[in-house]
Amino acid sequence: MKIGLEIHVQLPTRSKLFCACSTAGEEPNSAVCPVCLGFPGSRPSLNRRALEMGVSIAKFLGCSINEEVWFSRKTYFYPDLPKNFQITQYETPLGTNGRFEVGGRSIGIWRVHLEEDPGRIRRVGRAGEEVALVDYNRSGIPLVEIVTAPDLTSPEEARAFLVDLLIELRHLVGVSPQDEQTVRADANISVGEERVEIKNITGLRNVERGLRFEATRQSRLLAAGKRIVRETRRFDEERGTTLPAREKEFEEDYGYIGEPDLGTFTIGPMARAMVLPETPLARAARLEREGLPAATARQMVLTSMELADMFEMLCPRVGREAATTWTLGALTANWKELQGRLDDRTKEEIATLVEGVRSGTVTDSEAKLRIAALAGKEVTPEAPAEGGDLEALVARLVDEHPEVVKDYATNPKAANFLIGQVMKEGKGRYSSKDVAEKMRKELEKRV
Amino acid sequence: MIANTLPEAVRRAAEEYGAFVERLEDPLAYEEGCAFHFSAKDNLCAVGFQARAGSRVLDGYRPPFDATAVERLRQAGGLLVGKTAMDEFGFGTFSTNSAHGVPRNPFDRERACGGSSGGAAAAAALLEGHLALGVSTGGSISCPAAFCGVVGLTPTYGRVSRWGLIDYGNSLDKVGLLSADPALIRQYLPIIAGPDPRDPTSQAQPPLDLGGEVGSVAVPEEALAGLSGEVRGSFDDALAALEGMGIEVRRVAMPSLRFALPAYYVLATSEASTNLARYCGMRFGDINEHTDQSFNDFFAQTRSRDFGREAKRRVLLGTFTRMVGFRDRYYTKALQVRQLVIREYARVFRDADVVLTPTMPFVAPRLEEVGRMRPLEMYQADFLTVPPNLAGLPHISMPCGYPGGLPVGMQAVAPHWAEGRLLALADRWGAGFAYRRPEVRA
Repeated sequence: MKIGLEIHVQLPTRSKLFCACSTAGEEPNSAVCPVCLGFPGSRPSLNRRALEMGVSIAKFLGCSINEEVWFSRKTYFYPDLPKNFQITQYETPLGTNGRFEVGGRSIGIWRVHLEEDPGRIRRVGRAGEEVALVDYNRSGIPLVEIVTAPDLTSPEEARAFLVDLLIELRHLVGVSPQDEQTVRADANISVGEERVEIKNITGLRNVERGLRFEATRQSRLLAAGKRIVRETRRFDEERGTTLPAREKEFEEDYGYIGEPDLGTFTIGPMARAMVLPETPLARAARLEREGLPAATARQMVLTSMELADMFEMLCPRVGREAATTWTLGALTANWKELQGRLDDRTKEEIATLVEGVRSGTVTDSEAKLRIAALAGKEVTPEAPAEGGDLEALVARLVDEHPEVVKDYATNPKAANFLIGQVMKEGKGRYSSKDVAEKMRKELEKRV
Repeated sequence: MIANTLPEAVRRAAEEYGAFVERLEDPLAYEEGCAFHFSAKDNLCAVGFQARAGSRVLDGYRPPFDATAVERLRQAGGLLVGKTAMDEFGFGTFSTNSAHGVPRNPFDRERACGGSSGGAAAAAALLEGHLALGVSTGGSISCPAAFCGVVGLTPTYGRVSRWGLIDYGNSLDKVGLLSADPALIRQYLPIIAGPDPRDPTSQAQPPLDLGGEVGSVAVPEEALAGLSGEVRGSFDDALAALEGMGIEVRRVAMPSLRFALPAYYVLATSEASTNLARYCGMRFGDINEHTDQSFNDFFAQTRSRDFGREAKRRVLLGTFTRMVGFRDRYYTKALQVRQLVIREYARVFRDADVVLTPTMPFVAPRLEEVGRMRPLEMYQADFLTVPPNLAGLPHISMPCGYPGGLPVGMQAVAPHWAEGRLLALADRWGAGFAYRRPEVRA
């Protein structure tokens, strides 16, 4: 089975691709202007930020970057398209010939280019009396289109590809997490000789569903000794099936010509100067190469890249094993709260704690409590007032536990129970070293 | 024109000559006075007026913004007195392809003004001290300037912002100026020129330099074939006069010029056919009553009804030349020809300051003759004005003779961004040649 995808992802710019309108318009037709409505006499100006994002995606996908690019007009008539042509890139995409790895397989990327979104049609009213309304807030929203080679081999792999791609793009340019539901794709699939194109699928889940249905349909046709017709089909979201699209709906001849209003853009130097951040899955792959189990590495980077930072900070200081245990244990458990508070001092404090555990100066549970405290948990102001200073607290607890005093005479480890109690009541205010020292002193006095 | 007041002169230019398709009528607006008065071709958007570009499909369209050129002239104290007649979207050589009437030549009301900025040239000829904003895609400033006996400057492509210009062919369209008085062009070109962030193609221009000298002109032999006797005579006289002024006249060969016309029509119609796609009854063009049809039929109905014959012809031509299977043969080839023509001019500019030809091969034809011309004959009439337009080179048309009382124009072409050279030539020429105004009867 061969599957190729054409994916449209919205770039998270504040303004549209060719005008200053907001990309966050809520009320229908509230974020529109003469440019994105195609008023006669208006003309586009390119949003530089969108160009940069597009170039960084092309570079990230390992594409060869075109030195100079321009835009084209793709002409077709449709009610949601204000100018009845879409400004896109045809001869000179940002990049060609890249690749992206999923599940250890390399998937070819044919091209990456920028284009504007059309408006959106909403059909309202009862069946038979439907009215189509057009919302132009989306008109001119910047999209990056990524076209893959037909290298994917199953609907599951196609979905995994999209999941991983979006994880990386989220980190790279900040595409929205909602994109898993809103990403739009066209999918080519061939089980036998002829390929079928499924147009306009929205959301990851539907890409997989559409492809599954189509794979089954084509396999059954072949099993029944029938031929598969090369055609364009549409995905029916409600039924989860694909249907032949009407011929005229997807006109193949778009009569591309250059878009003279925008001129040309030299992006080669920009691409070369760009330093891309390490993306989550690329980092997971590196951590895996460095010896971390694949699932662990993936879990870590998907929880947060900052958590992975913490892990990599701990590694050289406490060793991979302890770093893994603490990162996936106490740090992950408190991550939601910790995330906002992780300044350098806090990170250093955590590292010191874990080192302390390693060297035996801090108990395991104590370190966990301290980490929870750093996360802002369970800090009650009464505790210090009631407990007074450390010496008083130690004295009180020793008073309350005469049995420990008795044990201590023969077994010094019995002190650990009381040390733990002090740490708990102290809510992390006292260093374990101090507590242990004071506790020993107090117990020695009483034995 | 003999008229006591500006509003009266504007009214007569509109009513008797059809120069304006819409004019400023509010007497108070005139009362306030102005530094100067100007008009805008009807494809330039201006708040307070419709912008119909000669097309029925834009009837009633009132743009919410000013074209940059209009805005800058207004800011300079100019009073916009009206929108001038033109061929639909600029598609024509005589201003006869319009839904809003045909302007008449101030030198002879039975003759055409030329096009497509015909109304602009007529207004420039009729109104004293008037500056007309015109637009040229393939010669639409030079041609009517020649036929109406005024000076018409078409700046370098990208010199004047096209923001607010209703597009014909975006890689060719240029906003320029027409006036009976070249001093007004010299004065107001710097106002409308200059970068404008709303038109990225205007951003890369060097500063406008109005200095410049012309010591030599190159006359391509190819331009002298197919001229009417009157035009040939006037042009030869003009060359002799220029030599008399100490300007060297060189005869040159420019064989590529003959490819310019077909290349121009391919590019212009390709771009036009995409520009006109938006007029489909959704937002522009009347929403027709038959909303129960498929959108394609609905669009086709509006477009069939509201586009004129020439607009339809150019949409069809332009759609054909960019179709899969033909695009390489026509559109892509035409792009290459454009480069060829640019290189040929560059070669000639090594030895001469400007290229000089007659503007049009004949004097303004009678309107009934225009009516009998076939489309191809009309297109061929542009063979002298198209090459500089295709190459994006600045050019100027100025009167150089009046055989039988009808103006003949000559057109000088300068290197990119060298508008100053053209104005210098116009100054020198104007100092030695007497421009005539039309005799307009009260």
